[in-house]
Amino acid sequence: MHRVSNAAIGTVTVVALCSGAWLLGGGAGTHTPPQPSAAQAARTGRGGEPRGAPALPPSPPDRIRIPSIRVNAPLMGLALTPSGSLDVPPAAKKNLAGWYEAGTTPGEKGTAVVAGHVDNADGPAVFYDLGALKKGSRIEVDRRDGSVAVFTVDAVSVYDAEHFPDEKVYGPADRPELRVITCGGGYSRSTGYQGNVVVFAHLTGSR
Amino acid sequence: MRRTARLLTGTALAVAAAGFVAAPAYADEGDGSLEVFPSQAVPGTQITVNTAVCGPEGTAKGDAGAVGAGTFTLAPSTHEGEAIGQFRVPPSAQPGTYEIVANCADGGRQVSGDLVVTLSAARGQEPRGSVKTGVGGALGPDPVQTAAGVAALAVAAAGGTWLLHRRARGDGI
Repeated sequence: MHRVSNAAIGTVTVVALCSGAWLLGGGAGTHTPPQPSAAQAARTGRGGEPRGAPALPPSPPDRIRIPSIRVNAPLMGLALTPSGSLDVPPAAKKNLAGWYEAGTTPGEKGTAVVAGHVDNADGPAVFYDLGALKKGSRIEVDRRDGSVAVFTVDAVSVYDAEHFPDEKVYGPADRPELRVITCGGGYSRSTGYQGNVVVFAHLTGSR
Repeated sequence: MRRTARLLTGTALAVAAAGFVAAPAYADEGDGSLEVFPSQAVPGTQITVNTAVCGPEGTAKGDAGAVGAGTFTLAPSTHEGEAIGQFRVPPSAQPGTYEIVANCADGGRQVSGDLVVTLSAARGQEPRGSVKTGVGGALGPDPVQTAAGVAALAVAAAGGTWLLHRRARGDGI
């Protein structure tokens, strides 16, 4: 029998030890939710946007679908927290998103707001891949009146919680627009996610 | 095993979520279960009403005569097996609370809900600030990477043991 040399065993042992330690130490990086690139960011100047599709009458939404990131989730009504920020769906329900019920309904003229979790304590949640959306991606909202509002993504941006652009995200619009919001930006163990990924979209069709 | 548990948990959560959403999310101040959306509106607004009382295939005749909008039809829809109808608040409607009524075509059950007409839009204030939509539970080492690391350490342990074994036998290193 050909004898394996001590040097060979030693080399394999050392390489395995080092690579094992590196892998377990997180040397190859952790997996984090995708974040949008600068190319997907919202333009700074407003105005001159296409009109898009004609506004739909108000009707509450039931479901949101974003085919390119495999989102298909029911929507619950959301209110505001005492501090005035938008409340969120229960974290335990990872495939549940919500919409701001006292605001514009998706498809109606104005700015409708949808929010959902990027993750919960168990792992990725409904909008984990939201930051991977690109300009031109399609978002569909099933409405209770039986219609489907179809939106096209205009921009995907990340905003720091410290300097959140309320007017840009929540302010009124003179065409039917949609915002889809989840957590994003940097993450620290003490303060959690530092901001939000915000998707800007406008109505381009219905059926 | 753990995967099965997770699947079961996921299914249970999905069912719970569906049930949660199916529950009427709107204040229904009438004596029956006719949802009126929006329940507060300015003249000229299109109103959507829906009810599950008439059954999954049931139609109903709606009556918005109180607010001056006449009758309309509620037809079965894909939403939770409910019948849905629409009417428009007349531009001449006066502020006040009006009862909107629907009568099921079969069985004659009657449901109602309230519509409040105001002269100025009563939409809620806009939200402010960022949204707390994550706790970091998706972060941390990739499970595949962790498994690879454990496997590499196992190889290292086996190699080390082999070498020690040879040394103990006096094979020399």
